[in-house]
Amino acid sequence: MAATDSHEKPVIAVRDLCKTYFMPGGMSQSVLKDVSFTVNSGEFVAIMGHSGSGKSTLMNILGCLDRPTSGVYELAGKNVSDKTDAELAIIRGREIGFVFQNFNLLMKRSIADNVSLPLIYQGIGEKDRYERAVQMLHKVQLQGYEDRLPTQISGGMQQRVAIARALINNPKIIFADEPTGNLDSKTSDEIMELFTDLNRQGITIVLVTHEDDVADYARRMIKIGDGRKVYDGLRADYEKDEA
Amino acid sequence: MIGQILREAWISITAYKMRSFLTMLGIMIGVAAVVMMVAAGQTVQNEITKTFDSMGTNLIIIGPGETVTGGVRGGRGRPSVSFNDVESLRDLKDVETASYIVNAAVQAVYGSNNYGVSVAGTTPEYLAIGNWEIEDGIMFSERDLKSGKPYIVIGQTVVNELFGLQDPIGKNIRLKGQPFTVIGTLKEKGDGLMGDDQDNIILMPATTLRQRLRGSPRPNYTDVAFVKVTSEDRMESVANRIEYQLRARHRLKDGTDNDFTVRLMTEMVEKVRSVGLILSLLLAAIASISLIVGSIGIMNMMLVSVTERTREIGTRKALGAPNKWIMFQFLTESILISFIGSFVGMVIGVLLSQVAGYYFGREVPISVWSVVISVSVAVVVGIVSGLMPAIKAMKLDPIEALRFQ
Repeated sequence: MAATDSHEKPVIAVRDLCKTYFMPGGMSQSVLKDVSFTVNSGEFVAIMGHSGSGKSTLMNILGCLDRPTSGVYELAGKNVSDKTDAELAIIRGREIGFVFQNFNLLMKRSIADNVSLPLIYQGIGEKDRYERAVQMLHKVQLQGYEDRLPTQISGGMQQRVAIARALINNPKIIFADEPTGNLDSKTSDEIMELFTDLNRQGITIVLVTHEDDVADYARRMIKIGDGRKVYDGLRADYEKDEA
Repeated sequence: MIGQILREAWISITAYKMRSFLTMLGIMIGVAAVVMMVAAGQTVQNEITKTFDSMGTNLIIIGPGETVTGGVRGGRGRPSVSFNDVESLRDLKDVETASYIVNAAVQAVYGSNNYGVSVAGTTPEYLAIGNWEIEDGIMFSERDLKSGKPYIVIGQTVVNELFGLQDPIGKNIRLKGQPFTVIGTLKEKGDGLMGDDQDNIILMPATTLRQRLRGSPRPNYTDVAFVKVTSEDRMESVANRIEYQLRARHRLKDGTDNDFTVRLMTEMVEKVRSVGLILSLLLAAIASISLIVGSIGIMNMMLVSVTERTREIGTRKALGAPNKWIMFQFLTESILISFIGSFVGMVIGVLLSQVAGYYFGREVPISVWSVVISVSVAVVVGIVSGLMPAIKAMKLDPIEALRFQ
């Protein structure tokens, strides 16, 4: 398994990551305090924590939507802590796949258009985009749905469209933020099976969730509490009543 | 990249068809109004030019002096320029010819037909002065003028009203109960500046008019006199010579006012033209208010659209859309809406002004200005009203935008 290959550079390496929000009047609030960890290629990691623990902030930084106040974040060997907005946009478009809780599909656009959306910003032509979208939809078992609208399919299918969209730029890593939060338990299981399947094919996945049975699909778990890393290890070894 | 942005913008516009159409409607009405008003203004200008051309512009018009009562200028004074005065002007340098008019308005009767006409008692030179041409027959002669012959030359309206399809030459018509013989007809001229019918006219020797239609204690004086100058750049000097000549003939002492007025047709043309230009500009200015309203409509719609599509913007940014891309996408949408609206508005404006021109029997020009105005308006309105919403979209924080419900 790729995760055990210690010679390869980690996909994610964060060291002493801090995020502090400065409020008017001199007040400040530390949301992340000295968080350090690495994620290797091929891993399936669940980031857990209660709401307000700082896991969303961590996720935003890892997803290059936000920058840390201090500390270093290396994505695929490149330091991205001090990149400009424009550079971060390019990195998001080329290295990262996002799956959101509320899918975030463009409801007026065809499923193929939705899946191939990230490729527009890389200047890829319409025909190539469509072909790639067809391939990705095949990966998530949605072949034949290319020209339908998201409004015509179920929530579980919409999330699979979103996963196809996350895969289309061959990302180094996929960030899934509460991907089953809007789905019933049976559909949730299907989506998690799909993630497990993709991980077996070698895709690195970082999952943010607060649901234990969703986290159970991940091999490794990082728990954030009050802005600090409070657990980092195999999910199976985690004592559930420890926290 | 431009192609991609255009396509994205077009898809967004077509996704909300009704809303996009209503937004375009504002610009459409605005541009159509401006195009129509510009066309109306140009039509008026053209009509003015045409009318002046039909009269000739290198004319000097001599009228009676103005009455001055206690230092206040009043209306026209009594006639002061005699037939002989005018004839004396023909010998001045740079004068092509000179003529004069004594007016009357009478009922013309032929058989059972009768029609109200204006009669000009004048001289044979009047043809050249008024740019008239003989259609049929002949003009009365200098000798007819001297002897006061009851010969008349009639305009096309008079021909149609009194004679219909008959040949009028040699026929007698009655004016104020007296017979006059038609010896010629005038070529058609069309409507005058005020929509008056220039062809509703009868020309006859001035002496005849004085003797038979409109007597006067001073029968040999003109209502108005015209001097045709050889070329337009000689107008000023000829006007000065006329003034000198008439003052001498009237024996006016130095320091006294003229008992006549001298006006240059070129100056009158300029005045009327500038009034016409101001009129067109005013019309266009009023019409452009609707353009402003239309562009506010676009800005409003784009602002609503940015707010409505906050999550879409967040998603696009998360998936790698650079801020500039987002800005250009929204800017392109507003320019596209404004462009389509302007184009359709221009077509509607041109069509409606042609229809109106046909209805009022005027030739309405299709002006390049319409196209220039529409295109520039489209781009300017699109950018101006789209910029603020586009910048708002560009500045959205993707994290906030993704959280937006």
